[in-house]
Formats: sequence, structure tokens, C-alpha cells
Amino acid sequence: MQKVLITGIAGGLGRLVAERLGKNMSVVGVDHTPWVGHPPQFTMITADLRKKKVEDVFRRERPDIVVHLGLERHNFDPALRHDVNVGGTKRVIEAAAAYGTSNIIILTSSYVYGALPRNPFYMDEETTLNVSRHYPEIRDIAEMDAIATNFLWRYPEIRTAVLRPASTLGPRTHSSIATYLRLNPSPKLIGFDPLVQFIHELDVAEAIQKAIDTGVRGVFNIVGPGAVPISTAIRESGGTALPVPETPTRVLLRNLFRWGLFPFPADAVDFIKYPCTIDGRRFREATGFLAQRSLGETLRSVRP
Amino acid sequence: MAEIRNITSAPRRKRPGASGPGPRQRSVDADAVRATPSGQSLWQRLQEFGQVVASAATQHLAPELLRDLDTEIATKIDAAPLATNDFGFDPWGFEKETARRCFFTSALLYRYYFRVQTRGIENLPAGRVLLIGNHAGQIAIDAAMIATACLMEGNPPRIVRGMGEYWLSRLPWLNILMVRFGSVVGTPKNCVDLLEHGEAVLAFPEGVRGMNKGFSERYQLQDFGLGFLRLALQTGTPIVPVATVGSEEQAPSLGNLESLAGILGMPAFPMVLTPVPLPVRYHVEFGEPLIFEGNANDEDHVIEEKVNIVKARLRTMLRDGLERRVGIFS
Repeated sequence: MQKVLITGIAGGLGRLVAERLGKNMSVVGVDHTPWVGHPPQFTMITADLRKKKVEDVFRRERPDIVVHLGLERHNFDPALRHDVNVGGTKRVIEAAAAYGTSNIIILTSSYVYGALPRNPFYMDEETTLNVSRHYPEIRDIAEMDAIATNFLWRYPEIRTAVLRPASTLGPRTHSSIATYLRLNPSPKLIGFDPLVQFIHELDVAEAIQKAIDTGVRGVFNIVGPGAVPISTAIRESGGTALPVPETPTRVLLRNLFRWGLFPFPADAVDFIKYPCTIDGRRFREATGFLAQRSLGETLRSVRP
Repeated sequence: MAEIRNITSAPRRKRPGASGPGPRQRSVDADAVRATPSGQSLWQRLQEFGQVVASAATQHLAPELLRDLDTEIATKIDAAPLATNDFGFDPWGFEKETARRCFFTSALLYRYYFRVQTRGIENLPAGRVLLIGNHAGQIAIDAAMIATACLMEGNPPRIVRGMGEYWLSRLPWLNILMVRFGSVVGTPKNCVDLLEHGEAVLAFPEGVRGMNKGFSERYQLQDFGLGFLRLALQTGTPIVPVATVGSEEQAPSLGNLESLAGILGMPAFPMVLTPVPLPVRYHVEFGEPLIFEGNANDEDHVIEEKVNIVKARLRTMLRDGLERRVGIFS
């Protein structure tokens, strides 16, 4: 039986992936917060990705497969975010390489491309990672993605897949976009209404499974059933849109974020202003993956 | 050609009191505008198009006519090949309801303000096609008129996907509208995706160089970018040249203040002499499809030869169009 090590296992997506992979693999979970009530056959280890203890876990467990989901998404401390996302990723994948892992799945985000006015719809994997140009608070995601991509080329014998899923929604997911849609009212910029792509958390778990099963190497965008304007997404997910002017919103967010009162920095506004839609063709052609949940179902899953 | 015209004007002819069988308001033209010798004074010309607008308004802008037009547009949009999702949006953000309202406005302009005469719409092939036109008139009314022609006269009706200026996506509301009626930011990736999807893509390789040029340069094609031809080769797409006569006179300008445009962050700052575009008559001609073969990554000079074929065709079409034209407003 193959052994899979999952980082960030206590998160919403981590649990889904663990339950799914646990059907025919032995699961070792790593997270800095414990998963209370996890299935008894899972080995759970409480560890901080910033600490050396993580390497000890790899030395002891020697997993065949690593699924790296341990990401810090909403944090008011940029230094901590950076340490976990960049330092932690480096630590995990280097340890995986050192202790004989043959298959690594690293989940980043479609946000690495950034939301810019010149973005084409359907950016492919070769598009520059532009997010740090205007959104320094999440540049660690782009850096982490770059580390993973670099690793991919440094270790040709390891099957590494860097997955960049579109905005993920689901009852257990606390992605930025899900948090935004749950705000009620969700602020929407006056005069802007970009297309946003969504994918259900179960479909992301399915994509991870597909990547493991097919053993694909490379960088892949993961898309769901399609895109709708942000206003439609707010309406269909059962929320209400609050039209707000852009400049005061940015000023307000800058201050709320600085004082730790609101989870989105000012530059997050770009993601409800310009499109950041991706082309999922490469992954579909490589693995045959097709999202199973419809757009409506995906949007309604925000408020189960 | 004539057949297509008759089909599109059929609902209008049911209206009681419609004068004459002429499709495309030939009656208006006959009553109000006689062939204009080119030596007319400016005042006479002003009077002349005042009459055109007034007679068109009184005879044709009746409520039932607006309703008919709206229905006609809705029917045409429904007949156009589109891939909309459960919420009514296609992958590039096109949406029928908003598009219907936009096309309603542009169809009013098309029929009653610019009184567009369309030739050669039968040259529009089914499936992927790249429409390449001359760009003029300070604002992209030419694009709207070409798109309206393809919707109203095309068989089947086509939704034309415009390659918009990058600047547009920064403008409030306009960025939404542009996407909802089918245009996209004009990046190569968008163009390739649309063509591979079998869409009709409209591009003006002159860009702002053409659109915002001065009145003295009217009907002189400016430099063409090479990108469109590389994309056509890459995707195996026929190119249909579209010559627009009329747009070049709609908004005379002294030229483009590039330095001021740079300061304001605008693509161009034309010194326009008229507050609104003049009611010139548009003549839109679709040429026969040009099919090129070769490597999309060839050297510039190889691509340029092919681009020059497209330019030459457009030039010929423009010259012929100008020769056929009787007067700027008639």
C-alpha cells in the first residue's frame, strides 16, 4: 500500500483529499493545528512547516507521495505568511526529494497570474506570474509557485505536478473568494464586473487524485465548469452585492487590514476589478480531468 | 446581396403607410437627397443632412418600428451561433440581453443615422474568420457598424468579436459593456482562442494610428501591425478585408496630440472639430476571403509581403468605394 503525506491536512480541502486518498493509501497528515476526530487509521502529526521537525517526519515516514496543501492564506502578518508559504514549501519538497518520494503534488492558485487590465481571458501556464506587480501581500504565493516549478526541472526523476486551481468554493473551503462571497453584503466595484472562474472543492480533490493516478509532471491550471461575472456569482451564491466606489474602498481596506480588522489587503480589489481567468486545456489533455459539478451547484455550495 | 436585404427589411414592409418597396429606406433618400454634386457649399450640405435626419425621424422612428427593430435584433442574436452557459454568458463574457440593447442602439445608427450600405456580406464564411478593416473616425463607430452589418445582414447572423484597445478595460462601465456585446481585450491569446472556437474576429491592424489620424490623411492606410497575419497563419483562418467608406469623414480632426495623450494616459488625444460624429453615409464592403499559407514564425519581411497583399486589397476596395460614392452624406 502506498503512503501519502498530506500537509495542511486539517484544512477544509486537506480533509477532503485525505478522505478520498485514504480509501486506498495509508495517510500521514501534517498540520500546525490538530484535526479533531480524524479517521483513526490516519497518522496525524502536529508540526509547524517552519520548523525542522517536518524533516524528521519525512525521515521517519518516507512517503511515496506528497500532497502539499499547507498554505497560509489569510494572515495579517506578511512575514509569517512568507515563512510558511515560501520557506515551508521549500522545506517540504526538499525533504521529499531527500527521502525518496516519487510523486509530489503542490497546490498554488490561479491568483499567481494576478488580475490585470491587459489579461487575456484564459491565460495558459506560460503566462508571466504578475501578481506581485500590484499585490505584494500575496507575492509569497507566486514565489512558492516559482520554487515548485524550479524544483520540477531540478529533479526530472520525481513526478512533480504544480496545480493552479481557479477560485475554489465549497462548504468546507475558506478560500479568499469563498470568504468574500460569504461577507453579505459583498462589496462590488461600481463600473467593474469581471468574469470569475469557479471550481468546487470536490473537483479540486478529484484533480489531485487524477494528477496522482496519471503521474503527470508539469505545471497545470485547474478549471471548473466555467466563468460568470462577479455580480452573478454574488447573486447565485445567495448573497447581496454592495456597489462601492473604488478609491475610498482601497483606502478603507488599507487601514482595516493594517489594524487587523479585515482579511483582505487593498490590492485584493484588483481581483474584483479585472479578470484573472485561466486556460485549463493542458491538464484536461494530460489527464482527462473534467469538473463534475455545474456552475450553479458550485456557486450555491458557498452557503450549504 | 439583394436577397439578403429583402429578408432583413421584410418586417418593416408590413407597416401601414410604408412608402415604396425599396429596402433600406430608399424612399427617404429619393425624397430628401438628390445626387450631390461635389461643388456644393457647406451650408447646402448642412441643410441637406438636416433634411435627411428630420425625414428619417418623422417617417421611421415610430414606436412600432422600434419594437420591430428590437424583435428583429433578438431574433438575429438567437440565430447566431453562441456558446452561452446556464447563466447566459459565453466564455468571453458575451451576454444576450445586454448585447440586444447595445445592438439596438447601433442598429438605429446603422439604419437611420449613418444609413449604412453593406456590400459583399456573402463573402463572410461560416466558422472562423478574421475581419481586417481600415480604422478611422476618432471613435470606433466603424467597428460597431461592421458588427451590426454581420448581425443584421449576415446569413446566418454572426456576433463579431472585436479586438478592443487595452485602454478600454480600465474604463468603468465601458469595460463591462465591451465584454457583454462580444468584444475582448485585443491580446494574441484572446484572438487565437476565439478563432479556434470558430468565431468571427474583427481587428484593425492600424489601431489608434488609423482611428485618430488627422482629416488630411483620410483613406490613407497607416502602418499595419504584422501580428494579425501571424495569428491567421497559426490558426489557418481566412482573412476577409472590410473596407469602410464614410467613417473617415465622420469626425474631422486636426491630428493627434500624442504628448497630451501620454500625460492623460489615453491611447490618443485627437483634436476633433465636431462635438458629435457627422451623419455621413457609411459604405461597408466585405471583400473575398484571402487564404494565406506559410509559417506563422517566418521573418518579418516574409509576413510583411502577405500583409501588403491585404493592404493592397483594402486600398483597391476603398478606392472603388470612393468612386462609387455620390456624396459624403448621401
